[in-house]
Amino acid sequence: MAPPAGQIRPAKYLASFVLIVVALYALVFLTGNGSAKPKLGIDLQGGTLVTLTARQEDGAQPSEEALNRARDLIEVRVNGLGVSGAEVVRDGNNLVITVPGADSEGAKGLGQTARLAFRKVIGQPVPAGAVPQTQASTPPSGDASTPPSTPPSQSAGSPPPSSGAPQGRPAPNLAAQPSSAPPSSSTAPSSTAPSTPSAPSNVDPRVAKEIQEAKALRQSTDPQVLQQAALLLDCTKADPLRGNDDLDKPLVTCDEKGEFKYTLAPVNPPKEDTQTKADDYTNYSRLTGEDISNAAANNNPNGTGYVVNLDFKSEGGTKWGAFTAANVQQAVAVVLDGEVMSAPTIQAAIAGGSTEISGKFTLKEAQNLANTLKYGALPLSFDASEAQTVSPTLGLQSLKAGLIAGGIGLALVFVYCMFYYRLLGVLTILSLVLSAVVIYAVLVLLGRLIGFTLDLAGIAGFIVAIGITADSFIVFFERLKDEVREGRTFRSAVPRAWVRSRRTILSADAVSFIAAAVLYVIAVGQVKGFAFTLGMSTVLDLVVVFLVTHPLVAIASKSKFLTNSSLSGLGGAAREGAAHRATTTGKTTAVKEA
Amino acid sequence: MSSVFSRLYVGNGAFDIVGKRTRWYITSAIILLVCIGSMVFNGFNFGIDFKGGTKISMPSVSASGQAIPTSAVEDAYAKALPGKKPNAVQSVGSGASASIQLKSPALSIAEVATLKAALAQDTQPQGGAGAISDSAVSASWGGEISGKALWALFWFFVAVTIFLVFYFEWQMAVGALVAVFHDVIITAGVYSLIGFEVTPATVIGLLTILGFSLYDTVVVFDKVKENTRGLLGLTRRTYAEAANLALNQTLMRSINTSLIALLPVIGLLVVGVGILGVGTLQDLALVQLVGMFIGALSSIFLATPVLVDLKMRDPKYIAQARRVAARRAKATGPQAAEGIESVDDEALSADLRKEEAYAAAASVPHRTAKAGDARRRPTGKRQR
Repeated sequence: MAPPAGQIRPAKYLASFVLIVVALYALVFLTGNGSAKPKLGIDLQGGTLVTLTARQEDGAQPSEEALNRARDLIEVRVNGLGVSGAEVVRDGNNLVITVPGADSEGAKGLGQTARLAFRKVIGQPVPAGAVPQTQASTPPSGDASTPPSTPPSQSAGSPPPSSGAPQGRPAPNLAAQPSSAPPSSSTAPSSTAPSTPSAPSNVDPRVAKEIQEAKALRQSTDPQVLQQAALLLDCTKADPLRGNDDLDKPLVTCDEKGEFKYTLAPVNPPKEDTQTKADDYTNYSRLTGEDISNAAANNNPNGTGYVVNLDFKSEGGTKWGAFTAANVQQAVAVVLDGEVMSAPTIQAAIAGGSTEISGKFTLKEAQNLANTLKYGALPLSFDASEAQTVSPTLGLQSLKAGLIAGGIGLALVFVYCMFYYRLLGVLTILSLVLSAVVIYAVLVLLGRLIGFTLDLAGIAGFIVAIGITADSFIVFFERLKDEVREGRTFRSAVPRAWVRSRRTILSADAVSFIAAAVLYVIAVGQVKGFAFTLGMSTVLDLVVVFLVTHPLVAIASKSKFLTNSSLSGLGGAAREGAAHRATTTGKTTAVKEA
Repeated sequence: MSSVFSRLYVGNGAFDIVGKRTRWYITSAIILLVCIGSMVFNGFNFGIDFKGGTKISMPSVSASGQAIPTSAVEDAYAKALPGKKPNAVQSVGSGASASIQLKSPALSIAEVATLKAALAQDTQPQGGAGAISDSAVSASWGGEISGKALWALFWFFVAVTIFLVFYFEWQMAVGALVAVFHDVIITAGVYSLIGFEVTPATVIGLLTILGFSLYDTVVVFDKVKENTRGLLGLTRRTYAEAANLALNQTLMRSINTSLIALLPVIGLLVVGVGILGVGTLQDLALVQLVGMFIGALSSIFLATPVLVDLKMRDPKYIAQARRVAARRAKATGPQAAEGIESVDDEALSADLRKEEAYAAAASVPHRTAKAGDARRRPTGKRQR
């Protein structure tokens, strides 16, 4: 049984390969949910994919912390859509939202800039389209004894937070009544809601001009102009000031649902205003989302339903105390990106920084408002770099097309190998098939372990890798031919050819792997999937060549039948080898058929 | 014809590639100039990902089985979004995958929703509104992908240069990198010349060509390295001749590996162009097809000649080449012909002996690992 010197024990290698395959498939079927399906990308299963790119005003690199907070925020929003399987993944400065399934378009509006500020409400809100009134008057809806509030209903294309009517009274331990019934929170996308452009850009001169014009009108310091602006404002149109409003100027804006128009005081006194003292809070809240330390939705301790508990940081608490003291019975608007999310009335001065906002919230609404308060003040704004919705049918077609392409590729390689290498070609095919078996298991496991998703570019990576895998076989086989040409028998040529080609295969695969690894680390989006599959196949290629192809060739070389030159495709080389032997041993120059 | 093939197959050094290197340099310089000129003056045909915009894709068959004309799609667009115009509406693909692709300037989320609703209503595509796919890309996205790709390119070169310098020699690293640069520029140039659309997938494809081109070059250089081991101590052949021999010996291998690598790409292209008619697969396949072809050529005709030129600047190799010439001048006719003889026996048999020992050594652990006991017992060694 012992092999002669210089030979390997093929069975051992093959056994270890079988062991690897068994182990992999045991993991596939016995761990996790046991389903042997790789995780497919949005482009293959249908759904919505949105890539949000963090954009800093000064072009600086956003901090890790800010990005992670943004990711958390958006994840909350995504989960608010109520679609299963949704994910938010950070990829450098990008956040990638993937929502599988047909009803996933709501995800497109999730990445809106989220800058939170508190602004005092001047006068009374007016229904969209109505003439603004500057004196206190009947609130637009609900019970006259309670101040107006924002009754937003969640709608597609706008951020989901705060869909309740937080007509709360931000005083601890006191209950308040909502002025209007909280509208039902619908997650179904509808196309009528106001929405932001999918690709806002601060470089587009046309957009910049639009913003300037809107600012001149709606952020004017002249009350007359503001009144005019409130008249002209159309809540059904996309707001160019979205996330671009100046905090030290007044603002005329709509609520989230586009039902009411508000005139709001500046957050901070304008720079040119030297009269207002630093402790004057009659108009200026001086509060942004940065002042909030925490917000959480809780059960209403004094009744049914939910409340939102808001905690300020120490300085924010002081400001909040001073502001609420100066503005009892006035409404304060929670403004997210220039949109009024909620406008509760201050019932009493609130010291200590802990505030309770009550109202008829459902749990979800309360959570949404809490999250808006907690995460709304992100120092980052995002551009939707890419937003795509793939229909499930198109996804299926792409998947099919990818598989067909792979099939054609494999078939072409098979035919070529059979034609050129005959017996060795069969071994090539076997190796490729086994390679595919291993790749599939690894794919399923990686999908489970690190959430690796296979997209169309990834499939392309595998298909390209077929060539690279087959290349290692060719390097080996051509070496084998070299050896046979030298006059060696198939059997004695195998170990020599292996030792020599092994080095070439390792170095060539190393280069391929470096290419894939560099691409994976640096690239974004689809490129990553492609690089990952390419790199993975390169590594698995080595496994297959070492544990399968070489041992199989070694076994074949020992079989009398299989070494028949017409089968092995080495006839030409063998003839050459025979001629070589003949000349070097000084015998006749006649060429003998091997 | 058959003799060319058998020379190729046998690889006995019959093609003087290194000797005619000036010819290859000039050819590739001309092609490079044309490509660079085209890139400068012609530019590229950038896809939507670089300009920003919205793409809509829908089945081209209606629910009732009728084909949807592109004009119906244009009408629906005009109705849904008055005042805007699509950039292009075209029918692509075949069979069940046939689709209508609409390209439009950037639309807002609301506009996309309106458009999709209108398309679903007016054209009644198979599968209803859910079968309409859309994709919006900001103008900066393609730029970001490409920016990252350029960084990837840079770090790739750094990593590969380090690898090659350690694994081979610096001259080989330079030769390989020259070939890779050449491939990238020519592939990009072909895109510029023909006017293929450049998408992020194209950029990805371009990057993977680098790996492939180097793969080929590494295979050739490995053989060159082997053939020139101990060359300086011999007067049998010059470095240029040894390198040329290596090229010939690996020629069939290069052709084979390139062909095999191209076959799956052809599969991609057939499906990408023939069935889907648009998208990632097509873009990737096209760029790889062009790049791999050029990569195979450059690893044969450029990398090794550059290596030889660099090596021949080394006084040691120049002196050795002089000794070879001197020996040949002294010798008579038959020996002069030796220069193109098929195999360098001495060097190779020395190699083989070495490799044999290597092979034996390499397999020792396998022998001792399992069948060890049975074999060792009679010797009485290490018995417990």
